[in-house]
Amino acid sequence: MRGLLLLWSLAPLAWQLYTSLVTPEALVSGSAGATGSFWTLENYRQVWLADPPIWRYLLNSAVVGAASTALTLALAVPCAYGLQRQGGRLRWAVSLALLATAIFPTVLLFLALLQLARTLGLANNLLALSLPYAALCLPLAVLLLRAAFAELPPDLEDAARLEGLNLPQRLRHVLLPLLAPSLASTAILVFLFSWNEYPIALTWISRPELLTLPPAIARLAGSSLFTVPYGAFAAATVLGSLPLLLLVLIFQRSIVSGLTQGAIKG
Amino acid sequence: MTPSLVNTLLMLPALLLLAIVFAWPLLDSAWLSTQASSVLTGLSPIANHGANWQRLLGDTRFWQDAAVTLRFALVSVGLELLLGLAMALLLHRPGRGRGWLRALTLLPWALPTTVLALGWRWIYNDPYGPLNAILRAFGAAPYGFLTTPASTWLFTVLADVWKTTPFVALLLLAGLQSIPAELEESLVLEGASPGQILRRLTLPLLKPWISLALLFRLAQALGVFDLVQVLTRVGPAGSTESLALYAYLNAMRFLDFGYSATLVIATFLLLVVLTVLGWLLLRRRALEPSR
Amino acid sequence: MIDAMPVLPSPAPGLRIEGLSRRLGERTLLADLNLAVAPGECLALLGPSGCGKTTTLRLLAGLDAASAGRILLDGRDITQQSAGERRVAMVFQSYALYPHLSVADNLALGLRIRGMAPKEREGRIAAVLELLQLGELRLRRPAQLSGGQRQRVALARALLRQPRLVLLDEPMSNLDAQLREELRPELRRLLCGGDQPVVYVTHDQQEAMGMADRIAVLRDGALQQVGSARELYERPANRFVAAFLGRPAINLLPAQGQRQLGLRPEHLQPVLHGGIAARLQRREWWGNQQLLWLETAQGDLRMLVAADQSLPEQLQLGWRPEHELWFDSHSGERLAAP
Repeated sequence: MRGLLLLWSLAPLAWQLYTSLVTPEALVSGSAGATGSFWTLENYRQVWLADPPIWRYLLNSAVVGAASTALTLALAVPCAYGLQRQGGRLRWAVSLALLATAIFPTVLLFLALLQLARTLGLANNLLALSLPYAALCLPLAVLLLRAAFAELPPDLEDAARLEGLNLPQRLRHVLLPLLAPSLASTAILVFLFSWNEYPIALTWISRPELLTLPPAIARLAGSSLFTVPYGAFAAATVLGSLPLLLLVLIFQRSIVSGLTQGAIKG
Repeated sequence: MTPSLVNTLLMLPALLLLAIVFAWPLLDSAWLSTQASSVLTGLSPIANHGANWQRLLGDTRFWQDAAVTLRFALVSVGLELLLGLAMALLLHRPGRGRGWLRALTLLPWALPTTVLALGWRWIYNDPYGPLNAILRAFGAAPYGFLTTPASTWLFTVLADVWKTTPFVALLLLAGLQSIPAELEESLVLEGASPGQILRRLTLPLLKPWISLALLFRLAQALGVFDLVQVLTRVGPAGSTESLALYAYLNAMRFLDFGYSATLVIATFLLLVVLTVLGWLLLRRRALEPSR
Repeated sequence: MIDAMPVLPSPAPGLRIEGLSRRLGERTLLADLNLAVAPGECLALLGPSGCGKTTTLRLLAGLDAASAGRILLDGRDITQQSAGERRVAMVFQSYALYPHLSVADNLALGLRIRGMAPKEREGRIAAVLELLQLGELRLRRPAQLSGGQRQRVALARALLRQPRLVLLDEPMSNLDAQLREELRPELRRLLCGGDQPVVYVTHDQQEAMGMADRIAVLRDGALQQVGSARELYERPANRFVAAFLGRPAINLLPAQGQRQLGLRPEHLQPVLHGGIAARLQRREWWGNQQLLWLETAQGDLRMLVAADQSLPEQLQLGWRPEHELWFDSHSGERLAAP
């Protein structure tokens, strides 16, 4: 059963890896062609030297991801804290709003957000992308962090208050250090989201050198609908997935537990 | 300052950003849906007294897209729940390397949809894709997976199921982890079979999580965009044109912002109606503000 | 900055609580509490869970806001001061040690925040660590300490502040019974008899009687009685206090004229004639004593006798008149002997 599960999950990905590593002839015929070679790094060379090169998109995605993550945490931590401490109707209303926005399909926002970006001159501004990204990640981030705050023994904060620590000091010296695992898994989820986001990046960014990875790859595909250079593509796919692959494998424990804990407690 | 005021101030920046990015676009689109705003008007909005909405009602492409989207959402979410449950049960079983298994099965969910959609386009490729290579190995003729409307739709669903089932599995896994092991053990002591345990204990206790997964996935599937935009576009005879894709094409291809906004709001209303329906069906747990 | 405030001519030292109340919506958690605790005195707040004792402690600490009333510490009104300004130290039931910090850092955090010079800080911490014999544990994390050690660290953190008032919230409830008994004298030695009042919350009557100079019994947010353990035991203000103090609990017998007669189990004794007839149902042998369950026409009774005393199945029960406690069966108030 486990083998089947792994096959189902990984075979399509493995196929991408294979595609990226063989010559076009080998890909089509399954054997080495006239040139006599089967395995090749040519696809990687091609996307690495393209204009703009793939590393540019990777860099753009990383910049947006880092900015979105920082902004999301900066807003979500105080919000989650306030929500956890708050009682009554306000808490109920905010929780409901967060739940509603958390399940909302973001594609429906693209049109108005595009107009907003044009009005405010934010189009083709990489860092500005982190504004909608942070907003789209906030509901989940706040719900996860609120659950994490709820887990902390209330006595700890009371003890810190008695020792004269004000709110920023309590957060910095007592609460956030204890929340580190939840902060990490929240940060990873935000980074994943912003690395993968497509419709807003597609509509906000038009200058090729500013594209993030998803629209860049889709653009590659769109440029030649009938003769897609699948080898180059697969290479781009592998390179674009590699950072996430590492992230998921390194932090698998905190992603899974972060999400499941948040879901259980939220 | 009262604690309540402090809490509100702490929440305010996040809530403001949420209002700007969620509430304002919806209001703006609702307003724009009452305006003509296209190349004909030089893209500036001019009130056209509900003409967009009249056009929508008579737009067979809209109705077809609505049917495509709804069918897509119901079928793919249904499959995801079934497969996700099986996957969650498998991932919940103790054993060596469980953490790695979880991480690896999570990969399709973690990687960019656009990237994976291109991968699937290559997998479905006729005649060179791996699926056709397998068919060839069995002596069958190559098959055009993305050529007829029915098969295009079906294989788009398959790609979506592959991509999002891990998420459903993860949510259900959270549910499984919340069930105390003693409950299952006491049933085992009473001589219950695994099938009986699943039906009598696990599924009833998993209900809130199934509801949550259903709600979340249904809303997301009704807004499907990334996958179809890259994998098939509108598909043969519009068989995979989702409402979101149609709205996108109206804005970015036909430069008709007024009508695009109308489609956005129509999709939103469809979404609200379906979620409220779902909500009423599964009300108890999800709404309950947690302690 | 607190010390810079004008000092009243003769500030009454110690703690005074005047009309203190806390309401949350419809619920009254604490109603009109009046108490005074002298410097060096240890007052126990005793009562069942939900009686308002922890509420009182949190109001004194400044962790929750009072709905009405005043708190005076050494003559100064501290009701409006924040928790951090009050120079009040508290030992929490959970000890509330910061799990990510070592013992030394747990102690240092508050002083560091207040900007105390490192030299003075280290000196103070070293002194407290020595006082509590924690020197060897200074680099350990709370998770690496035993329950008793954690309690000592929590105590050290409280003493380090040189507080004007010490609050303890069930500080022993996480320790096993034997350790609890051993620690009582130590806790008294460290805390009581200094120049700061000590308020000690517990639901364990034995602990309250062993630790405190005086006990305040609370019920449903209202003060029932304050006094020494002996006063409360021998002259309880009402049926609730009588029943809450003393194990096994007091026997209550219906009597004529809307009254109840309270008789403590150890005050019953077998008599030859003239008592009430009882039949022995069950005996619990405790080693130093035995508890007898008796059935009488007035209801079931508990009687405590010496471990070696042997009694027949059928017996007559009597008691000395000065041990009788009479209660109004409606209000529960204690009445004068008839």
